Amino acid sequence: MKSIGALLVAATAIGMLASAAQAQIPRDPTPIVSKTSPADIANGKNLYEATCSRCHGLDGGGSDGPSLQGVPDRLGDQAMGDIIRGGIPGTGMNGVGSLSAEETGQVIGYIRSLGHTADAEVAKGDPTRGKSVYESSGCATCHIIKGEGGGVGPELSRVGAMRGPSYLRTTLLTPGAILPKEAGAMERGRWTQFLFVRVVTKDGNSFEGTRVYEDSFSIELKDATGKFHSFQKLKLTKLEKVPGKSVMPSFKDTLSATQLDDLVAYLASLKGAQAQ
Amino acid sequence: MKAMQFAAVLFLLAAALPVAAQVPYDRLVKADSEPGNWLTYGGNYYDQRFSGLKQLTPQNVAGLRMAWAYQPTRPAGNVETSPIVVDGIMYVTEPPSTVTALDAHTGAKLWTWSPILKNVVAIGLFQTNRGVAVLDNRLYVATIDAHLVCLDAKSGAVIWNTVVADNKMGYAITGPPLAIDGKVLIGTGGSEAAVRGLLDCFDAKTGQRLWRIWTVPAPGEPEAATWGSTVPAGGTTWNAAAYDPRLNLVYWGTGNPAPDWNGDERPGSNLYTCSLLAIDPLTGKVKWYFQFSPHETHDWDASEPPILFDGMIDGKPRKLLGFANRNAFYYVLDRETGKFVAGQPYAKQTWAKGLDADGQPIVIPDTGPSPEGNLVFPSITGAINWTSNSYSPITKLFYVDAREMGSYFVKGPNTHWEMGKFPMGAGGERALSGDDAYGAIRALDAATGKMKWEFRLHSPSWVGTLATAGGLVFSGTDEGNFFALDAVTGKPLWDIYLGSSLRSNPVTYAVDGKQYVFVTAGTTYFVFGLP
Repeated sequence: MKSIGALLVAATAIGMLASAAQAQIPRDPTPIVSKTSPADIANGKNLYEATCSRCHGLDGGGSDGPSLQGVPDRLGDQAMGDIIRGGIPGTGMNGVGSLSAEETGQVIGYIRSLGHTADAEVAKGDPTRGKSVYESSGCATCHIIKGEGGGVGPELSRVGAMRGPSYLRTTLLTPGAILPKEAGAMERGRWTQFLFVRVVTKDGNSFEGTRVYEDSFSIELKDATGKFHSFQKLKLTKLEKVPGKSVMPSFKDTLSATQLDDLVAYLASLKGAQAQ
Repeated sequence: MKAMQFAAVLFLLAAALPVAAQVPYDRLVKADSEPGNWLTYGGNYYDQRFSGLKQLTPQNVAGLRMAWAYQPTRPAGNVETSPIVVDGIMYVTEPPSTVTALDAHTGAKLWTWSPILKNVVAIGLFQTNRGVAVLDNRLYVATIDAHLVCLDAKSGAVIWNTVVADNKMGYAITGPPLAIDGKVLIGTGGSEAAVRGLLDCFDAKTGQRLWRIWTVPAPGEPEAATWGSTVPAGGTTWNAAAYDPRLNLVYWGTGNPAPDWNGDERPGSNLYTCSLLAIDPLTGKVKWYFQFSPHETHDWDASEPPILFDGMIDGKPRKLLGFANRNAFYYVLDRETGKFVAGQPYAKQTWAKGLDADGQPIVIPDTGPSPEGNLVFPSITGAINWTSNSYSPITKLFYVDAREMGSYFVKGPNTHWEMGKFPMGAGGERALSGDDAYGAIRALDAATGKMKWEFRLHSPSWVGTLATAGGLVFSGTDEGNFFALDAVTGKPLWDIYLGSSLRSNPVTYAVDGKQYVFVTAGTTYFVFGLP
């Protein structure tokens, strides 16, 4: 008897999250496809600002809820749409079951347009030659593409879907100039990723690397060889954060203008799936 | 084996309990005289979140170890509960509106009660619950669908269940009731759904409504002149209150006017939003009010739990009230008269030059929301939000979890909100966060607001503070650290990583002569003690 009561409560709790006004998780089978025409994005913006922005921020960068930037790309339209309409039980994410499939697609289209890192520059180099530049320049020592390479830096299998050519060019010339912000719940979002940090311990040892974790009491670094180092802040004599610096070398003096164009074109072409 | 332990616990409890009411009103009034229990939301009616327990000290707190943990079967939302502890039993809530009794020695579940919830409307708030109230042999809990429910403390059986307000209109409750002599007071949320704010008082025995205060006027009433020609809405009462039994005054804060980020059609101060109300609970009459943020457009609710304390001002003893407002100012008021005594910012703010002699903000022009976004500190979530501060009568310090974060405030074109519906195009924020924001535990001179020390946090937190007679202040972080500071110096003395965000007010209690500290992280309820 007791367990039946608990089940009933759980069922109503899930239903309750589905929507402010509707109890049922929508069963509309229409596939969700993001809509990206200017009119679609304009309506998506209205819907987003009415139903999503209170928690996810007007720019999708997160507020009480997590940042949404890059999320449609990671989840795909259908999964994104299912969450928008059905919610996530056990979290503060209430679904908006009243949205039609078309409206849901418009909201996703608008979210995709937020914080977009694609840009006006069209990659002018040759991606095939760029692949050779990538292979001969040591990039794979630190980056993985489709399962090949080293894990010191970020995986690049889909970097072309996330970053435009001018962003890629800037990063190759002055790594650390534009550091991305991470997504995350509440104010935990938007931390600068790949932030360069230098520490000195009380026994005089120095370490440097990119920040992978930090809280009020500890900080975790990944050094240029990919090794992790954990520090208690109270045991450090120096903790220096250096925005603009990176463990990645600049390719400004090592690549010709043509090689750089080709490498940018290759990276911009990487839009496929990650290795499963 | 477990069943035998359980039975043994029940037997011991039964043997220890008198037949008379377990927690009569008189026991609540004198809560400070039994620091082993945590009898009200804020530990005492003054809402000080101060415990007289002294077993844990700066010298031994580093030895704290986990005593037990409890995990709800299926928590549906953020855990933000602050428990009540009575004679070895802990009463916690689980999201959205479940009440569970735990053995405070072991964490064993004794009973649990959940409401049947259908088609809940929850606009602009998380579906959670922050705690229960206890009086005599009964518990009182308010539900997300805006009911007030009276439960038998020994079994969780429902004694009565009454509707406070219509959930379909957007009224929803996440805050704790206040139980006083024969009465239970409860407020609601729903300002983002443009409901008309109210505060209700019920007969504790029968559940009959004794009185209701509307916090914003009906059209035509005198205060409606502070709203232009619009229909007043908002001013909800969604957080915890304080009570002075000698003055017989209840102190309850009110939230934002609606619509929020566009105030064009509600010219005026919008009484009694973003205010503190001092109410005579016998009659339901407002004795005085103090409005912190007139004509508010940043969502800076004045819903923070007030703290009552007695202090010296200009060499004279005064009955005071400390209030760390979401708008980043700390206020000291005379709690008999509502007169402003002192105030200053406790966190970064860019919207006011300061406070005038009456405590009213000297507002800097053009610091409201704008169509393109106007960077103002603090952010929408405020320099503090729903979490509770603490006050130590030993150090005379007020411990606040300050949130150092700004927002680009955006004014939407919509000036009309419809009750029960999420506002379309009203505006909002683009918050600074990550490396552009941080938090701090700050110790303020309670009588002046002057900062004595701070302990900086990596990010703005959603964790209240707890002060103890042992000389400690406990709080936590959004990353998942639970920690203890020296109450006099702010020096960190102990910390543990709990793996998920802390979102609750820590409390302390004792059973069998041993002091414990409670907090939640993620959806787990943790209790720590010395080995």
